[in-house]
Amino acid sequence: MQRPPAAVAPGARRYEAIGVSKSFDGANVLTDVSVTFEAGQVHTLAGENGAGKSTLLKIMAGVYQPDAGELHLGGERLAGLSPRSAQRRGIYLVPQEPALMGSLSVTENLFLGILRRGRMRTVDWAAMRREASAYLARVGLTVDPDARAEELSIAQQQLLECARALAHRCTTIFFDEPTSPLTAHEAATLFSVMRSLRTDRYSLGFISHRLDEVLQMSDRVTVLRDGRSVLSGDRSALDRASLVTAMVGRELTTRSRARPHLDASGAREVLAVNGLTARPQFEEVSFSVREGEIVGLAGLVGSGRTEIAEAVFGLRPVERGTVRLAGELLAHRNPRACIDAGLVYLPEDRGRHGIFADVDVERNVTAGVIPRLQRWGPLLRPSAERSMAEQATAQTAVRMASLGTLMRSLSGGNQQRAMLARWLLAGPRVAIFDEPTRGVDVGAKDDIYRLIGELAGQGLACLLISSELSELVATCDRAVAVYEGHVVGELQGADVTDANLGALVVGGTPR
Amino acid sequence: MSTTPVSSAKPGASQARSKTAGRQETIWTVALAALLVVLLAYFYLAVPDFRSLGTSGVLALCEQFLFTGLIALGEAVVVLAGEIDLSTGAMSSLSGILMASLWQQGLNIWLATVLALFAAALGGALNGFLVTRFNVSSLLVTLGTQFIFGSVATAVGGNTPPYNFPRSFVTLVGTGTVGPVPDQLLVFAVVAVAAWLLVARTRYGRSLVLIGYNRAASRYSGIDVRRSLLWAFVASGLLAGMAGIFVSGYYNAARDDIGDSLLLPAITVVVLGGVDIFGGRGRMSGVILATFLLGFLTQGLLIRGDSSLTATMVTGVVLVLCLVLKVALDHRAWAQLRELLRHRVSGMGELRAGRGA
Repeated sequence: MQRPPAAVAPGARRYEAIGVSKSFDGANVLTDVSVTFEAGQVHTLAGENGAGKSTLLKIMAGVYQPDAGELHLGGERLAGLSPRSAQRRGIYLVPQEPALMGSLSVTENLFLGILRRGRMRTVDWAAMRREASAYLARVGLTVDPDARAEELSIAQQQLLECARALAHRCTTIFFDEPTSPLTAHEAATLFSVMRSLRTDRYSLGFISHRLDEVLQMSDRVTVLRDGRSVLSGDRSALDRASLVTAMVGRELTTRSRARPHLDASGAREVLAVNGLTARPQFEEVSFSVREGEIVGLAGLVGSGRTEIAEAVFGLRPVERGTVRLAGELLAHRNPRACIDAGLVYLPEDRGRHGIFADVDVERNVTAGVIPRLQRWGPLLRPSAERSMAEQATAQTAVRMASLGTLMRSLSGGNQQRAMLARWLLAGPRVAIFDEPTRGVDVGAKDDIYRLIGELAGQGLACLLISSELSELVATCDRAVAVYEGHVVGELQGADVTDANLGALVVGGTPR
Repeated sequence: MSTTPVSSAKPGASQARSKTAGRQETIWTVALAALLVVLLAYFYLAVPDFRSLGTSGVLALCEQFLFTGLIALGEAVVVLAGEIDLSTGAMSSLSGILMASLWQQGLNIWLATVLALFAAALGGALNGFLVTRFNVSSLLVTLGTQFIFGSVATAVGGNTPPYNFPRSFVTLVGTGTVGPVPDQLLVFAVVAVAAWLLVARTRYGRSLVLIGYNRAASRYSGIDVRRSLLWAFVASGLLAGMAGIFVSGYYNAARDDIGDSLLLPAITVVVLGGVDIFGGRGRMSGVILATFLLGFLTQGLLIRGDSSLTATMVTGVVLVLCLVLKVALDHRAWAQLRELLRHRVSGMGELRAGRGA
């Protein structure tokens, strides 16, 4: 039982799903999908949100049972697979959000379920610590094995999940969209670990809807669309265009500017932030946004960009610094005062801070303007509210069965459209969009940027936050870069390029 | 098991079922109404003593449980916002005692009542202040303040709390009727309608419900979470105080322990009424129906000749059955339960199989 980890030379067994179908409550999520995972390969499942990628991997990891179809591991048919039995057979799913025991130590997490026993059947902590360091080193994780798991960053937790797979002697490892919460640098670390595992003949499954990653990492790609496998082949036989076409089912223009650069230097300054400081998150942050202008706030995750936006919107206290809206000082800011003054903030974490998942679309859309809802005496007028919501959702083209539909049953893109509708109702002069396309599929992304462009065209001053530099480059008239809580540069018009922004956000200088 | 979170984001499942909000609450409210009708029909047909009470007699039964209903209405406001108020029972005692003692000191009884209600609202505000200012869980805050309110009631009331209030007072808030309808029922009706409108049709109610569904999102939407919560506790305190006045009027005596037996039934009514104990989901109409359902169930059983012990047990059974039914109605919860059970079972199978290896 206690072989040192270095001795593990796996050569994962071939793992196949054949004709798998699955439906939830009558809706087909997967229809007759077949995939094969082989040792020494990274097999990527690509596709839009809701295409069925996660469901497929969860079935193969025993989380769900397929309605039809079979799973074969090295020729053996697996039936009634549970997560536990899948792990015993060497199949491990690194979930989208790491599912570690936060208050347990790194070592304890690694060996959860397979505690090493010494003589007398007591837990052999010494052996586990020894082994733990070996596994951690294998995934390039330099943390104290006695640290609590919740003290780790998301990226570290993911690597820990990966080490956990190794500790469980799993040789087929699935990564369910591992990179979405990671910075580019962290993702690169994860990729190098994946590559080294591939060299050691592990079989790796990888979910992503980021094209660059798919192209960069895969040996084999299967594209799912609406629960069907629409394309499957070796990476070498695929190019960018064919992948995009397969994913969205239509030709997509490469990201190009939908609107010309706007030189707004003559326009009125609507939002002016001056010397905003809340150490240690950010210090002496100053920037401005003019009427009709889209200004990008570029920065890595953790650079302080969201904190800055939240401070502007009055969600967090600042030590000093001012925010002026059309020249007027917003002192003692709180969200209500900001909204009423014409400043709105679309939060980054839509699920937690944006939507009311179990509430209908109508009340979601009017949530930002409750004090302005029409009344009859003290009572709200439902018909007035309804027509308000109808108008706003039509403007942002929310696709839904009716206004009474629960927010949670909308797709990510439509939820975001509903959020935009919420803020349109407030009649803003300045809008801060924090990662407006996070968790939104490829097709809807363009729609959202088109919408933002239209709003800017109507004179709205927009501050756009995104980690996807190419999105900023395609959208912004001007960009402000933040690095470790400081504004490190500003680019205007045609100078807003991937290369320039990329250099600034990692603390370098453009060109 | 540790590595398999029951993901809340089940893409296919959520997209397919374009559920309409409020459908579940409607089903629940209708079910409660139907159950109430069935219950009354049963007692009327099968229990001669119940039938012989006549309309006014049956309506008079309400006086036994409307205090609970009043407390439940206030409690529901707090629970909808995702908090809980455990001090309502003690607050009832305190307001009854305060009213009685002030009256005994020579104050006009109606003025004493107003002052007692004001004190109750103030007590609620204290709860709200502690909860919102110091971010302490309302469960803990009100667990603490309930002892404070209760002991103040005991101290103020002394060994023999006042009794034998003026006739006009006892008639109006206690045992008086308008035709066959008890005064208490009329007051309850007014308060219930007001509470229902407050939650369903006012700006404040909307804020409150959204806070219950997602507090963070409420804050990001510009809702003043602290102030809304503070007022919820004020409402809860005020209604509990009102219940205390009614109990005192009905028994024509103030007691410092009268509220102790009211808290749990009130919370039961809130839950049975379909209010999600974690906030957000629920309707006042459900709470109002649940007040009568639970009340008539208990009173009917007592009239049938069952012991109060039996009545309590039946209440417990009904509550548990209703809640199981409610989970069954909620397809999502049901699917999760099924999935969980399946894992438990297959996991156990694995354990057994694994032992030999």
